[in-house]
Amino acid sequence: MRWRYTGAPFDASKEEALVTRSCVRSFVVLCVFAMLALAAGRVAAQTSASYTPPKTRDGQPDLQGIWQVLNTAAWDIQDHGASLGVPAGHGVVEGNEIPYTPAALAKKQENFKNRQALDPLNKCFLPGVPRITYLPYPFQIVQQRDRIDILHEYSRVIRYVYMNGNPHPPGPIDWFMGDSRGRFEGNTLVIDVIHFNDGTWFDRAGNFHSDALHVVERFTPTDRDHMTYEVTIEDPKVFTRPWKMSMPLYRRQEKDAELLEYECGPYLLKEEWNKPNSALFNQR
Amino acid sequence: MKRCIAAVIAALAAVFFLLPVTGRVVAGQAFYKPDTPKFPQARTWVAQRAKLPPYKAPRTPDGVPDLQGNWNGPVGGGNDDLEEHDYIDVTTPPQESYVSDPPDGKVPYTPWALARRNEIRAGLARGWPGETGQRLYGDPAALCLVGMPRSSFGAQEIVQTRGQVILLTANTYRVIPTDSRTHINSSAKFFFGNSRGRWEGETLVVDVTGVNGETWIDSAGNFYGPNTHMIERWTRVEPNTIDYQITIEDPSLYTRPWTMTYPKRRAGTGPGTNPGGTTAASAAAVVINDPYAKEFWENTCIEGNFDNVLEIKNLGFKWFNPIVP
Repeated sequence: MRWRYTGAPFDASKEEALVTRSCVRSFVVLCVFAMLALAAGRVAAQTSASYTPPKTRDGQPDLQGIWQVLNTAAWDIQDHGASLGVPAGHGVVEGNEIPYTPAALAKKQENFKNRQALDPLNKCFLPGVPRITYLPYPFQIVQQRDRIDILHEYSRVIRYVYMNGNPHPPGPIDWFMGDSRGRFEGNTLVIDVIHFNDGTWFDRAGNFHSDALHVVERFTPTDRDHMTYEVTIEDPKVFTRPWKMSMPLYRRQEKDAELLEYECGPYLLKEEWNKPNSALFNQR
Repeated sequence: MKRCIAAVIAALAAVFFLLPVTGRVVAGQAFYKPDTPKFPQARTWVAQRAKLPPYKAPRTPDGVPDLQGNWNGPVGGGNDDLEEHDYIDVTTPPQESYVSDPPDGKVPYTPWALARRNEIRAGLARGWPGETGQRLYGDPAALCLVGMPRSSFGAQEIVQTRGQVILLTANTYRVIPTDSRTHINSSAKFFFGNSRGRWEGETLVVDVTGVNGETWIDSAGNFYGPNTHMIERWTRVEPNTIDYQITIEDPSLYTRPWTMTYPKRRAGTGPGTNPGGTTAASAAAVVINDPYAKEFWENTCIEGNFDNVLEIKNLGFKWFNPIVP
């Protein structure tokens, strides 16, 4: 059951934003509020050096719980100003520069220009890695001896991270979310991800990759309620060298925190179904 | 074209619901002949269950019954039509009802709601007896809409952590808190509702509120609504069998609460399963001795489905909106 991405390009240039403005505004308000509220925690997360987390029954560092980012990487992983529905933000890319090849840089700029039509997230496709991690939705980590499950509220996406001794299966495989194999290095969960397709982006600003993408994620707990999330991106078809992202992850503190539901695909289809000229359904 | 859409819907239903149910489909026997013996469901299972000796499940380290592992859904024609029926077509073999109460195996719709169900059924355009020839609604599952209570008809993995029971498939999950927390207000609607679990002896009792009524219970148009309340009971009655019961209540649609009951067998055991040891993950891809056979691999839906959605829409099917009186 090796599913290949065969979707055709989707031209939604005549469509209005699929995410309503009020919805975007809510996110912005929520993000800003939460960032202010937790600014102190963020500082604490970045300054504590050698925290030892509790262990699971299987003896692994216990990373379980509900986590979420508090940044604007979902819109743009690089430094950016604000625009309608887009909060300004410091980037999460180390050094801020993404080392595109010249041809790839031109494509990124085209993507940015046509982002409303071209962003695969606007079609509710699986978001890819690491984009899923820094969408403004919570996710839950569940640990077992041989597998770590990352359950995302966004579209109920599950990442199964295998730690059962199996190496990456032989390719070629074109998956939206890639194939994730994990291991612990000290207290850090390291996940190696390959077997991607070229159908996902890194953000709403058109930053992209090819099917040669290789992602290494590192989740390092820094205190009870914070982790540092570091990502190394390698893709020789698109970038001239590997590059890194880094950001804190915050444990959700609400006593009733739980994953609820954001079923992107059904909402999109329902919205578009009765539009006479929906670009979604008239792409050919 | 009628045949075409029937094929599309049947194929998608097979992909989403039949494939994980049983190794029969994997073995290429998804298409049933008219002389297929009637598949036993609630009536037969309830009689078998009554004869089982008492069973106390092993406990998790947290001291609650251990339901963990990979469990298949009921064996047979899936949830193509949950009420008792004879052979309908190649993907809908003769089958007993999933309804254990009321005893007649029928969903106890109010007269008004029954008329709606029959109207939907007559407009499925699947080539089934009694259809009007008009196209009304396609099965929402063909549009990649999944929700309560249909996901449990398929294979699932159960994982338990302290204060939680988690149900997993290749592409969706449910988290059921068992820590006595209260529901979110039921005005908040979800495809999977809002689940709260508690342990009553051997049984995990799950109270589900806030369902949205946008999906069906089967592919034949049996429906619930946004005011429906569901109570599931998960009980391990043998080492390799979970008795699954779901009671569905909604005075606006049904004359009384009603219950579906079926066994969920541990993957690799029970009738009709693949002896190679399928899992919730790998029913369709199992290869004996394949080290990856028990892994969940990526399973997309909407990503490859816009052509099918467009075809269903162009055939004149309407969007199914939740039914309220």
